[in-house]
Order: sequence, then C-alpha cells, then structure tokens
Amino acid sequence: MIDFLNYLINGALVGLLYALVAMGFIVIYRASKVFNFAQGELVVFGGFIVWWMVLAMGMPLAVGLPLAFVAAAVFGLLIERIFFSRLVGESVFAMVMVTIGLLILIRGLVLVLFGAQVRPFPIIFPLKPVIFGDILIPRSLLFGAILTIIVGLGLSWFFNRTRPGLRMTAVAEDHQVAMSLGISVKRSIAFAWILGALLSTLGAIIYLSGKSLSFLASDIGLAALPVALLAGFESIAGVLLAGLIVGIIQGLVTAYVDPAVGGAVGTVFPFVIMLFILFVRPTGMFGWKTIERV
Amino acid sequence: MRVFTRTAAAWAIAAGSFLPVAGASGQATYNLAATADFTGPYADVMKDLIGSQRPAIEWWNGEVGQKLGIKLAVKQYDHRYDAAQAASLWPGIKAELNPIIMLGAGGPDVAALQGRLPGDKIPMIMSTAGYGFAWKPDPWIFNPRPTYSHEAAAFFNWFRARRGGSGPLKVAIISSEASPAYIDQQRGIEKYAKDNPDKVEIVESVFTEVQPTDLTTQINRVVRKGAEVISIQTNTAAVVATKRALQALGKNVPILMSSHNGVLDSGRAVGDVKQMEGDFEAYAMAVPTDEKTPARAFFDMLATKHGMKSQWTVTAVQGMGQVLVALRAIEATAKRVGADKITGEAIRETMLSTPIASDQIFGTLPDLKFTKEAPFPVTGLTAGIGTIKDGKYVAAAKDAAVPVLSKW
Repeated sequence: MIDFLNYLINGALVGLLYALVAMGFIVIYRASKVFNFAQGELVVFGGFIVWWMVLAMGMPLAVGLPLAFVAAAVFGLLIERIFFSRLVGESVFAMVMVTIGLLILIRGLVLVLFGAQVRPFPIIFPLKPVIFGDILIPRSLLFGAILTIIVGLGLSWFFNRTRPGLRMTAVAEDHQVAMSLGISVKRSIAFAWILGALLSTLGAIIYLSGKSLSFLASDIGLAALPVALLAGFESIAGVLLAGLIVGIIQGLVTAYVDPAVGGAVGTVFPFVIMLFILFVRPTGMFGWKTIERV
Repeated sequence: MRVFTRTAAAWAIAAGSFLPVAGASGQATYNLAATADFTGPYADVMKDLIGSQRPAIEWWNGEVGQKLGIKLAVKQYDHRYDAAQAASLWPGIKAELNPIIMLGAGGPDVAALQGRLPGDKIPMIMSTAGYGFAWKPDPWIFNPRPTYSHEAAAFFNWFRARRGGSGPLKVAIISSEASPAYIDQQRGIEKYAKDNPDKVEIVESVFTEVQPTDLTTQINRVVRKGAEVISIQTNTAAVVATKRALQALGKNVPILMSSHNGVLDSGRAVGDVKQMEGDFEAYAMAVPTDEKTPARAFFDMLATKHGMKSQWTVTAVQGMGQVLVALRAIEATAKRVGADKITGEAIRETMLSTPIASDQIFGTLPDLKFTKEAPFPVTGLTAGIGTIKDGKYVAAAKDAAVPVLSKW
C-alpha cells in the first residue's frame, strides 16, 4: 500500500512537470495555431543557459536564475523576430515546418555554444525528500508542482480574463481578421514565444535540478505531448488535470506492469492514451470545438 | 566544359588517393573506413574514441607497413549515431574507399550493416561490448569485448568474493526501454542470475527514461529490498539521478557502470568525481589509471610522436584497442596471403583463425581468440575494474575473470 501511495504521488508530481512543459506548447499554439516541434529543445536551451550562468560563470543562484530567465526571454523574442515575424499571414503549415528547422538549429547552436559534454545541472531545490512516515516526496518535484499550479492558474486567468490574453486568442483564430481589428499579430506571437521560452526554462529548472544536462533532456517535450493533446491544445487549466492523469497512469504502469513484462509499457502507455484521445475526441478534454458553417 | 574538366580532374585525384593500388615504391595501399558520432549522443567522447585512429595507422605504416610493403589510410564518416544515416552512408563509403575493413562506432553500425557485410565481404571491428541479440555464429562483425552482461557478471563475481560470505550478491538494475541495447544488458544479467542463483540475485529491475525525472522512490524501494550493488549500464544521466537519490536517502550503495558511462564521466556529470567514491566501472579492457602500463606508454608515444590529441580516458583505450585489433589482423593477413592479396574476406579468415595476444595490442585488451561461435571471444577473457578510492581514480582489479554465460 505504501509503495502504491509513493508511486501515485510521484506519478502525480511528474505529471504536473509534464503539464508545465505542455503549457509551452499551448501558449504558442493559442497565439499562433502553431504546434512547436522544438519545445523539448527550448527546455534544453533553457537548461544550458542556467548551467552557463550558475556553474560556468559562477553566479549565485539569486543572480544567475533571474538572468537565465531574461536570456531565455530574449531567445524567445529572437526566434520570433528572425523566423515568425516574416511568416505573418502565411499558412500554419509553413510555420510548423519552421519549428522543425528550429529543432535542428537549436541542437546545432547548443553544440557550438556549449560543447557536446554532459554538464552537471546546479542543485536548485534541496535533495532531501519530504518524508511523511514511509511516504517520500522529492522536493524538486513538490516545489515544481506548486509552481506549475500557480503558473497554470495565472496563465489561465491571463488568457481568459485579460484584454492582451483575449487578443492573443483572436490572433490564433485568424491573422488577417486580427489585423483588421487593430491587433498587433507580431506582438502577440512575440509574446507567446517569450512565454514559451520562459516556461521551458522553468521546466528545465524543476526537471534537471541536481541532475545532468545533455540533449537527452529534450525527450521531455515528447513526454509532454500526450498531456497537451489530452487537455486540448487551447486549455491551460485543463493541462493540469491532464498532466495528473497521464503522470499517475504512467507511474503506476512503470511500477507494476513494466517489471512483470520486462519493460516497454510505461513509456509507451501515455502515447496509447494520446492515440485513443485523438480517435474518440480529437479536440481533447477541454479543447475548443470549432463549428464550421459552409 | 572547362568546369567539367576541372571537376573530373579533382574527382580523379580524390579517388586516386583512396584506391588500393601499388604505388611507385611497390607498396600496396589499402583503405579503412570508420564511422563516428560528432553531432549525436556520443559526440562528447568521440574525440577520444577515434582520436587514435590516424596516429596509430601512421605509427603502423612506419613501423610495420613499410617492412610488409603496405600503406594504410583511413577516412571517418559522421553517422550521428543513427542507423538510417549509417545505412545511407554505406554505398558511398564502398564506392569511395573500397575498404578492406570497417571500424564501427556503435550499435547503429551493427543494426545497419550486419546484413550487408557478409555480401560485401568486409569485416567490421567494433570498440563496444557485444549484445545478446547479435550473438550469432559466422560473424562478420567482431567485438573485442564480450557482452555488457558478461562484463557485469565478471564484476558481480569479483565483488561477491571481496564481500565474502556464502549468499548471492543482491543486485538492482536500472534500465531503460529507450534502446534495445539497454534491455539486452538487463536481460543478460537476469539470465546469469537465473542460471547462478547461488551467486547473483536480482532484487528488481527498474525502468526509467534516458533522462530520469527523479529516482528517489525507486531507489528507496530497491534499498529496502537489500540491494548491495546497483547496476547501471545505460548512461551517465541515469547514474547521476541514482546518485542523487542515494544522497537524498542518506544511503551508500555502490553503483556499477560501464565504459561509456564510467566513474569519471559520471563524476563530471554529477559535478565532482569525489562523489563517485566507492562506485565501480567494469569492462574487458585496461583501466586508464596513471599507472605506467604498456597501454599508457603506447598512448604517450602516439601523443608525442604522431600528434594524437586524445585525453587518457576509457574511451581512448577503447578506440586504441579497436584500431590495434584491426591493424594486427591486417598484419597477420599480409603474412598469411601476401601484402598484395589482402581482402576483407581474407582478414575475416585471419580473425577467426589467428588469436591476438594482449602484448600485441599493448595490453589495451586481454588475449583475444575469436571463433565462428560468436562475434566476441566467449572464453578466456578478463575484465578491468576501475573505482574512485580516497578521491583518486584507481584500478580495483585488472584481471577479473569473465564467466561463461549462456545465451539469452
């Protein structure tokens, strides 16, 4: 029973980490209807910026982390200025193809800027777990979960209740219509990319605290994909629930099914959920249903 | 037309430099092809792994080749550790070099070329340990090391003897579903434990992502089950996550690693090699400590006389062993069939008929005797075991016996 509770809690916390990374997908999608294939690479880039500031440059965490967020925001803005500002009004397909190019570009950029070595990531959260009797809760995941819930609810309020957030939603609907309403499409998309880069850096901090940093970390982008699809690409609050569902199922399957069958189920299972969701409800649990009148 | 003529001339010169021809001096020139990963997951160790190839060949050409009337050349191709890329490069490699031997960088080469090499009659020498799924007779691919599971079993027996007592050694395995190789390592160890319940007991096999999120819960469970060793032959990220989990729990269970994620690499990834105190790495090769060994002397000679830039690391030993096995096989083939009659097929026959003594390859690897039974020597191998003791990298054992494993 104790093991079950441990795996349940651990799964839930990992699921919320996936939800945080999935928010990166969603903010960019909500502002531009673009699915960003390079989301995992943004996490890696954010991680390398933190490593560079804190360990390579030797800055204290209180200075290095804020500067890393500033650098990540500048990187997000640069991505928009160099690539996406030129694609306003172009097809979504063209933008999605650019994100695939971005994936390759960021990988090359990290190799050139930071080298190919596996790097140690700074210990941001204390290693010692929170212990309740026989239940262990990893501190980085616990703090990460709290931050994820705060950020998720904050972004949900921003997109649904504020004028700039609603403007971004209008941009996602149609660039031409948004421009005709006097909305700056470029500014909205730039803001979305900045937000996406910031969320990725926060994800890297929670995910990698005290661990090692290499391109393997970009796999979390793939792990977060079923969460984003289960929630529906438009719902930020929904992604929290979807993260919990995917994380708990994955955690329990990995703990109890994998040892029995010799592995392979835990990693695959979230994608089975994803395919099932796409089959029965392509818009996800909380995605917008679009009615097209012909 | 002029452009065409120039291009044709350039191609002719480039092709001529790689063709196996007898030069004006009467020397036969042969080509070796090598794959590398400069932009993929093993880019960080590639300089050390392949850094000895050109210097060792230059040394061999001067010391051995000249007397035999042979000159060797090598060209490296980046396959980004991708089997599809390796497969797509292969026709071009054959057309450009017509190589007599191939130096493979890892699993993607095996996956892409194991079906093609017998038809092309080109043997491939690897530097990595072997795999259970590639354990097939009549090999064209040769691993100078047995499987990762053989190497782990050698460590378990050595560690159990050092521990004393009669009970089996309790082992936990951290594996991953991300690669067939990782699953293969785990299954081989489990098979050894099943066949030898008096020696090894697997308390649990834990499956994680290649970059684990957190392993505190899992490690707590295997520690509660009494694990005396945690075996991790996947990657450094898994070692770091396990080390952090052990530190978080205040436990000290030794971790066993392999050559590609050893104590120094994992120590650097965790931030300080001293944190790996009491952990181990095991592989059927020499341990690259500061001790004056023949392998170290050969390494230093390549660095001073032939401009080698590699660092003295496990992967450097791995790469040196690989190229030396290839060079000794070519040498033995030249003596057997004649310097001008060397072919890939003749080299393979030599590999299967002529043992390579450890002395010939400067102690980088133990004595090697390949048979048609498997792609790696199945008997008579020994393993080196490295560890961190009092903050220093040392060899805990140099010749731990590699046990005989049955196929899994």
